[in-house]
Amino acid sequence: MENSKKSNKGETKINKSDIIASRKTCSADGTGLSHYVLMDKKTK
Amino acid sequence: MPHNKIPSTGRYVNSGSGPTIQPIDIGHPHYVGLVDADTAFWSLVRRDSLSDVLRDSALLTSYMRKRESFRKEMHRLRFGLKPSAVYFNITERCNLNCRYCYIPGDMRRNGKHMSEDKVIEALRTLKQYFNKTIDRKLVPKIIFHGAEPLLNKKALFTAIEKFGKDFTFGVQTNTVLLDAETVAFLKSKKVSIGISLDGPTAGIVNKTRASWSGEGVFEHVMKAMELLRSYDAWSVICTVTTENMRSLPGFVNFLHKNEVPTCLLNVVRCTLPSARKIKPDDAVVARHFIDALETSYKLYKESGRKLVVGNFANILISILAPTARRLMCDISPCGGGRSFFALAPSGDIFPCSEFIGLKHFKGGNIFKDSVKDILKSGPFKLVTERKVEDIEPCRRCAIRHFCGSPCPAEAYEMNGGMNKTGSFCGFYEEQARYALRLIADNKHTAFLWDGWDRGTKEIFNVI
Repeated sequence: MENSKKSNKGETKINKSDIIASRKTCSADGTGLSHYVLMDKKTK
Repeated sequence: MPHNKIPSTGRYVNSGSGPTIQPIDIGHPHYVGLVDADTAFWSLVRRDSLSDVLRDSALLTSYMRKRESFRKEMHRLRFGLKPSAVYFNITERCNLNCRYCYIPGDMRRNGKHMSEDKVIEALRTLKQYFNKTIDRKLVPKIIFHGAEPLLNKKALFTAIEKFGKDFTFGVQTNTVLLDAETVAFLKSKKVSIGISLDGPTAGIVNKTRASWSGEGVFEHVMKAMELLRSYDAWSVICTVTTENMRSLPGFVNFLHKNEVPTCLLNVVRCTLPSARKIKPDDAVVARHFIDALETSYKLYKESGRKLVVGNFANILISILAPTARRLMCDISPCGGGRSFFALAPSGDIFPCSEFIGLKHFKGGNIFKDSVKDILKSGPFKLVTERKVEDIEPCRRCAIRHFCGSPCPAEAYEMNGGMNKTGSFCGFYEEQARYALRLIADNKHTAFLWDGWDRGTKEIFNVI
């Protein structure tokens, strides 16, 4: 099956279903150790 | 005239100044992983599209536009955080003698409590410190930890009463002294409660967790779980060893049946030699751990109710949204000494509780030295400057920012130095691969807290 072709910009265009990639971001406030109480944000 | 401009367009993957994209086999029938470890960028690509993606694809073009912002994000997360939590041991003593405890036995058996006055003085100092250093919107966290904090219950209650507006509190307990009155007080103050339990039966639990006279704790924990049912801020912490790893799937069933909202299935820390005697093999423990995760998924599908395995959820989050992670062991440098530190009953401060018992990691004393100076001390720098780039094989490992090569205490005490790996390299490899397989199959949200991404913003998406 042909999965890819060249776009107008010369990039190799891949079928979207062939790729999964995502990233989310937020202000980092990580505080916990793996062997301690998990501090649930909804507690306060 | 010399100049620093790199004579490469950065156009090509894996050469010149282009991104280093490592393909990794995740054990999935259709997808392979592509990771730029430096920025923690990942993608999953169908196996038969791999060469096209690497050639000059829209995916990589999109990534290259974001690469610098991802790099900066990871740098802030790894080097820009300030402490916002303290693990406060208000007593050296414990009423149990668990086989894997990282606090020396003599200290736990014959040690001292911190006096109530000193507890108050220490919290006052910490309040002043945090007032100057962290954003006013953030409430610093104090976690009373062990040894067994409820052995010094009066001081603990006074501290929570007096500083309830200044800190968010948590208590980690073995439950022996966790009676109805104590639970009612902690619930009324919205204190997070962590209880320790290593398996679904007395026979398993009592092998590793028993009193000094050998009496097991299983019945105490069962009573405590009944008192905590319906409270939404409690969790069960299980230390995984050779003694209980085979029971992990059954344990997950047990916890789900008892309506536990969150558990941590933490593989034993091997800082002290006694713990190494019950250290499981990486591949074997990974198999049982993943079986337990599969069990949690099946239970969720059957009942609609999740039992989140918090330490695994954290690895998933480290992939999906690196800055949203809650636990700070699985990142390099780890959180020890930079996003939290540990306060011992003597007032001595260590980068993490794991180091309490190792005197050469003492950074100073809260009653004698400034917290600011302690954080810059030599013992603290040993931990806060330990990074995967200086560790072999981590510096060339694709998943180095999903794992972090924990833990520095183990690396130093067990493996001979801060530039060594921790105890469970293979176990982390299996967890990261499993996490990526779940993402490939779009099952991952079943393993995360509802609302895990509240407050996050999507900055990259190709699905």
